Amino acid sequence: MTKPAIKIFLALALVCVPQLPVLAQSGPSYEDILAGFSDPERWLTYSGDYSGKRHSPLAQITPENVSTLRPIWTFQTGTTTRGRGFETTPLADDGVLYVTGSNNLAWAIDARSGRTFWRYRRNLPSDLTYGASAPVNRGFGMLGERLFMVTLDAHLLAFDRRNGDILWDRELADYQVGYAATLAPLVLEDKVIVGISGGEYRTRGFIDAFDPVSGERIWRFNTIPGPGEPGSETWPDDPAVLAAGGGGTWMNGSFDPDLNLIYWGVGNPNPDYYGDSRPGDNLYSNSLVALDADTGELKWHYQFTPHDLNDWDSNHMPVLAEIEWQGQPRRVVMLGNRNGFFYVLDRVTGELLLGKPFTATTWARELDADGRPIILNDGSQGCLPDPWGSTNFMPPTFYPALELFILTARETCATYVPEEPANTPGQSNFGGTAVIDAEQGSGALRALDVHSGDLVWEFTYPSPTFGGVLSTASGLVFAGDHEGNFMAFDAESGENLWHYQTGSRIWGAAAMTFMLDGRQLVLIPSGTTLTAFALPD
Amino acid sequence: MTLRDFIPHLPGCASARFILLGLLSCLTSISQAQSVNPLEGNSRAITGGGSLFRAQCATCHGADAKGIATIDAPDLTMIWSERDLSVSEVFSTIRDGVPGSIMPPHKLTDSELWMLVSYLQDVAVAGVTDLPAGDVAAGAEAFRMNCSACHRAHGQGGSLGPNLNAITTRRSLESIMASVRQPSVIIGRGFKPVRVVTSGGEEVQGVLKSEDAFSLQMLDERQRLRGFQKTELQSLERLQQSVMPPFSRTALSDSDLYHILNYIQSGAAQ
Repeated sequence: MTKPAIKIFLALALVCVPQLPVLAQSGPSYEDILAGFSDPERWLTYSGDYSGKRHSPLAQITPENVSTLRPIWTFQTGTTTRGRGFETTPLADDGVLYVTGSNNLAWAIDARSGRTFWRYRRNLPSDLTYGASAPVNRGFGMLGERLFMVTLDAHLLAFDRRNGDILWDRELADYQVGYAATLAPLVLEDKVIVGISGGEYRTRGFIDAFDPVSGERIWRFNTIPGPGEPGSETWPDDPAVLAAGGGGTWMNGSFDPDLNLIYWGVGNPNPDYYGDSRPGDNLYSNSLVALDADTGELKWHYQFTPHDLNDWDSNHMPVLAEIEWQGQPRRVVMLGNRNGFFYVLDRVTGELLLGKPFTATTWARELDADGRPIILNDGSQGCLPDPWGSTNFMPPTFYPALELFILTARETCATYVPEEPANTPGQSNFGGTAVIDAEQGSGALRALDVHSGDLVWEFTYPSPTFGGVLSTASGLVFAGDHEGNFMAFDAESGENLWHYQTGSRIWGAAAMTFMLDGRQLVLIPSGTTLTAFALPD
Repeated sequence: MTLRDFIPHLPGCASARFILLGLLSCLTSISQAQSVNPLEGNSRAITGGGSLFRAQCATCHGADAKGIATIDAPDLTMIWSERDLSVSEVFSTIRDGVPGSIMPPHKLTDSELWMLVSYLQDVAVAGVTDLPAGDVAAGAEAFRMNCSACHRAHGQGGSLGPNLNAITTRRSLESIMASVRQPSVIIGRGFKPVRVVTSGGEEVQGVLKSEDAFSLQMLDERQRLRGFQKTELQSLERLQQSVMPPFSRTALSDSDLYHILNYIQSGAAQ
């Protein structure tokens, strides 16, 4: 290159270098999450919207064409949780899927090809407690260009969603005592709401709100009251018992923006099976709590299983809906509980509207005038539903046009053997064990009339099942079973219309759906794979 | 419970009970995985280990330590006979967990770990410990005549029923006798009898290997693996009677059975 040529090149370079590329549009705002399913190409929060209905308006896949549904790609995570599941719900935005997996792996995946943009793996300590026995994760929260994920060593992380870099890392609690975190954070306008796992250890549950930008904690609600606080009268007068009373908050909550209330389930008291050390109802274990989103203040609670002796955590997705109740419009919250009852409550006041068994549970068959269960069998009259419960955290769906609550039911039989525990921090503290009769187990997908709790239809499975449920407004229900089938059903009749054997049980996960290039995709995690389905081109 | 509670009971430590040097020696030996469980057979260690087991392990491995197949938790009563594990391997597995699996490491003291090992040694399935003497050659012939159509031992025989090669290490003599005389009382998973009629009218009977809401997988009586879609079946019947016929004492005397078990245990094909 001659000297003049170099000069020209340098001059051109100086002209060109300051030209910065125009940045891509920033990620979803609070208003976008609030708008729920209004943008068909997005799925921005665990249930798709704040209500927890997991009911998508998409209608390209219908009862008439679902039999032609086929896989278009499979993503292999390369990580497994033997004995548990791949429990996540991917988030979708701008053609990218944000996915968390077992053992705190996470990925950004091209939704068109199933190929990864980036992969993250947390360097976990070798002495995990609860996080080692259940190394699962249920998904990201998202706001703008940030993703939020909790970890098995009980931290909350903020990611840059463009490259997987960690922006901040906050400890929620000491994992060595028995704390861990597994849920998908609930992201509000200016808060990231998370809960905690570890109710099988000497822990005290809480729900926390963090600032999404700074990572500072804004408030904490303790699920087990302190000495002298309201609710402490339902425990022995012993600070040591309260400080380790359990009450995990390990499943996602839902949010009502009009009431500015968060609805969240609380888990079992500790010890799980041994109740002699904790006489009383043990509030707020096994309850649904409604909290002010700004302050974390308790507005109301309802306890499903007072003085639980069966590990029947109430960590279920609270489903918010507007229904006509005895001629009046009511804002309700609904859930199927591990104790075998389906509940409808007024979500403004916490008033119980309906509580009715949806399985053959012999524990109780009705509630008294105060909404307390009339216990028929404490376990001395034969077996009870097992500790995994009559259903569990696997998400149900609510189909508004049919007013059907559709959930996975488990029919099981277990005897409980309580034993005084050692109460050692860092060691699981069940207080005995449960003996499960595997010969007596079965499962079913059940659709309940939300006004009566009556069974409208069911589809039975050969074994107790842990798969979640999605519905779409085209009249379809998607569900997974313990044998590995991913299935589609007619929402009105319960008729099975399609199934695909994924090769591993579907455990704790429910499907999600969104549009991509004019095509409706349905995704389900199973075993070590995430599979995307669509109709043929 | 601490190690000190067990010191007077430690085998090999008794003579050193009041001698500091000996005590230190015992502490050193117990503080790491070793080839001998210092608490083996100690009744208090077994009881304490049982409590620890129910608190720490039973959720996955079952209150009886027999495992829970649906969550892939192994039967721990069989680890000694089937897997031939040493006490130090069991000690290390409990302490360190199984990487890549749901089995976590456990922050227990060494004495607590040895208590758990003692408990697992105590609940170990001993198999046939009281087998009367028998004639191996006669047993081989009786096995060929009565069992080998469906069962396998020493590499010979059929596959419709369980492989009997290790049966004397897995089951007691009493339970083996019960299965031979009344095989329908307890039918194990993988051997439940079923009969299907296909849409084409074919009747197939066999043992159920697997099933989901839409299909079933069986080994038919001709020992052929068959898979069926349930929509293609006219009928599916779950039978109460095992595919194995009951063997009365007339059909197979106790001494014939002892010959057979001696043959199975003999370790060499005849």
